[in-house]
Amino acid sequence: MRRGLIARSRTELPDAVFEARLGRLRAAMRGLDALLVYTNNTRPAAVSWLTGFIPYWSEALLAVPRDALPVLVVALTFRVKPWIERTSRVADVIHAPRVGIEAARVIARHRTDAAVGVVDFDHLPAGIADDLCEAGPRLALSDASGLFATVRAPADPAEIMLAARAAAVAGSALSRIEPHDSACAIVAGVEGDARRNGAEEVYVAMAPDLARDRRLVRIEGEPMLGRRFAVRASVAYKGSWVRRTVTVDRDCAATDGAQAIFTGAIAHLPSDGALSQLSSFLVEGCRIADPLEALMGSSVAAPCPPVAGAVVSVQASIDVDGLPVLLGAPALVGASGATASIFP
Amino acid sequence: MVAKATPLAIARRQRLLTAMAAAGIDEIVAYGNGWQSDYLRYVSDFGILEGHGIAVIAADGTTELFLDNATDTERAEVETAGIAVTLCGDIARAVEARLDRVANHRLAAAPRRFLPAWLAAAERTFVIEDGTALLDRLLMHKLPAEIDAIRRAAKIADDAYGEFIKAVMPGRRQYEIVADLEAYLRRRGCPDNFMIIGSGGKDVFGMTPPSERRIASGDLVTTELTPAVDGYYVQICRTLVAGKATAAQTSAFAIYREALEVGIAAVKPGATAADVARAENDVFRKFGLADYVTSKYTRVRGHGIGLFCDSKPHILEDVDTPLEPGMALIIHPNTYHPEVGYLVLGDAVLVTETGVEVLCGTPRELFEVLT
Repeated sequence: MRRGLIARSRTELPDAVFEARLGRLRAAMRGLDALLVYTNNTRPAAVSWLTGFIPYWSEALLAVPRDALPVLVVALTFRVKPWIERTSRVADVIHAPRVGIEAARVIARHRTDAAVGVVDFDHLPAGIADDLCEAGPRLALSDASGLFATVRAPADPAEIMLAARAAAVAGSALSRIEPHDSACAIVAGVEGDARRNGAEEVYVAMAPDLARDRRLVRIEGEPMLGRRFAVRASVAYKGSWVRRTVTVDRDCAATDGAQAIFTGAIAHLPSDGALSQLSSFLVEGCRIADPLEALMGSSVAAPCPPVAGAVVSVQASIDVDGLPVLLGAPALVGASGATASIFP
Repeated sequence: MVAKATPLAIARRQRLLTAMAAAGIDEIVAYGNGWQSDYLRYVSDFGILEGHGIAVIAADGTTELFLDNATDTERAEVETAGIAVTLCGDIARAVEARLDRVANHRLAAAPRRFLPAWLAAAERTFVIEDGTALLDRLLMHKLPAEIDAIRRAAKIADDAYGEFIKAVMPGRRQYEIVADLEAYLRRRGCPDNFMIIGSGGKDVFGMTPPSERRIASGDLVTTELTPAVDGYYVQICRTLVAGKATAAQTSAFAIYREALEVGIAAVKPGATAADVARAENDVFRKFGLADYVTSKYTRVRGHGIGLFCDSKPHILEDVDTPLEPGMALIIHPNTYHPEVGYLVLGDAVLVTETGVEVLCGTPRELFEVLT
């Protein structure tokens, strides 16, 4: 559940940004009378991209009629309405414990047999899908994931700016690591710094001893740190998620070579040709509702390469002196033919 | 790094298998995400953070965990023991392939309403019953090892509230205070917490995630802190004043303290959730505040705690769930007071064979932060 800063800045996300995104979406809604977009605090990205709304708790459906203002139907209680209005841009908020029932009614009021596209329909909670059918028996529901992903794919300047801020927050937090601190002190330092700099959320993971295991885990208790360990900060800032990973060598062994290899490999995105030469890699980005969906990687069975102009987060493992170096950074995939670049 | 199943996880799994056998269920399909993670954790012992997760446990205890988030998959490989973990691009279709193999078995899902719609659709070759009630019973009635984790979390909750008092001072922004608290909990090795906050006066009607608002002298500062140990959340609710409490604030707070005390006194085996809610609400009615125990001003008068920070039963006058030994609850008569604003006060408790044990040790005071 979210417990970082959730606030709307009209400088960072002016009304015009949301208007433009809605305009692009509506233009793509050929043959559809309305679109339905689900959100909860683990799948918030589609609705937050359209409205800025991020549920710290509970769930909601955004109804986007083609010819009317969007309506947000939330399971949060009425007392939270002022908070929703403060932190997002939604024309109308309706509070209902069964959001599917109310969202179907909202759309059916315009047209009882409306053609309704549902973003990520297959993964909509079954109870909500049942409620949509119950309250809108004549609505023609179909999956609109492809439509949404196409419209959302290239990052607009506002999204790039938010990702850059998230990247800076993560970078600042990781730069404060004291190599000889305990694991808990390091996690506390990273998380505290990120939250004090306005992170909406931060997940800190560590590989406490890279000589034993290169996998990153959540720290509970106080594990012993090895000579070389890695720390990853997954940071959200106003709906934009990035990951950064650093490797710390307590003996100060140089890992600069690995950084150069990593930077060079990222430059080739959206091609994974250079990244696939590394011990392992993962490219994540936002296509629909997951803030960081696996797009390509050593363990990704069905790759979905990022499009030109997308914001992604890349992680990789590179062996140096027989020990792994884990690195991770957000990047902007270049426009067609241009080099991808890491956010500073 | 290879995790070893903890005694707690082993005990939970054995209890689940016994319940499945008694109900004649061959496979349980447990869904989870970072919001609603308790059913998945009970079955797989994995604390999911990102994406969807579905665990399938068979009657012989074989467990498979399907995740659609790559970093959580890596974490699950290390943090779980004795279960097969799979990263899948489309979790609904991956689990369908698994369940197709046992389409003639009796399958039950918890919570079924959260399953991906495609997986629960009538077109599948298998039928998935609703097994939510079976898991709910297990989640509500805690094993001794679960109660041990809850006691440890209660101690951290008390300590964390002490840190909260230190973090609050006029001029600080809400999110800076929460940042201090989260850092404190991580230093203690506590990986998770749910926390909301409110500050101000009569203009405040509840608690939310932190905003940029700065604490002002005279503010009521409310919080609900919910740290987790081994996945078990324990909550504490307290209110403080940034400065010296006014007579109106002190007088209003006394009503909440009385409501909490009678609410806790009503907790005993055989009583219902409704009995506890009614006891709390009657105090407000006695003081002419009946409107403020309605859904316009308050959500619940308490709730279960455990693998989710807002578990069943909800303490409401229309919930007739009987209280039984081993249930852990937070009793919190939190609501708006027309003279001072939103006030909170709540303690975690355990239903015992003879009555109730209060788990929180923080004094039930309206704290004052004097600068």
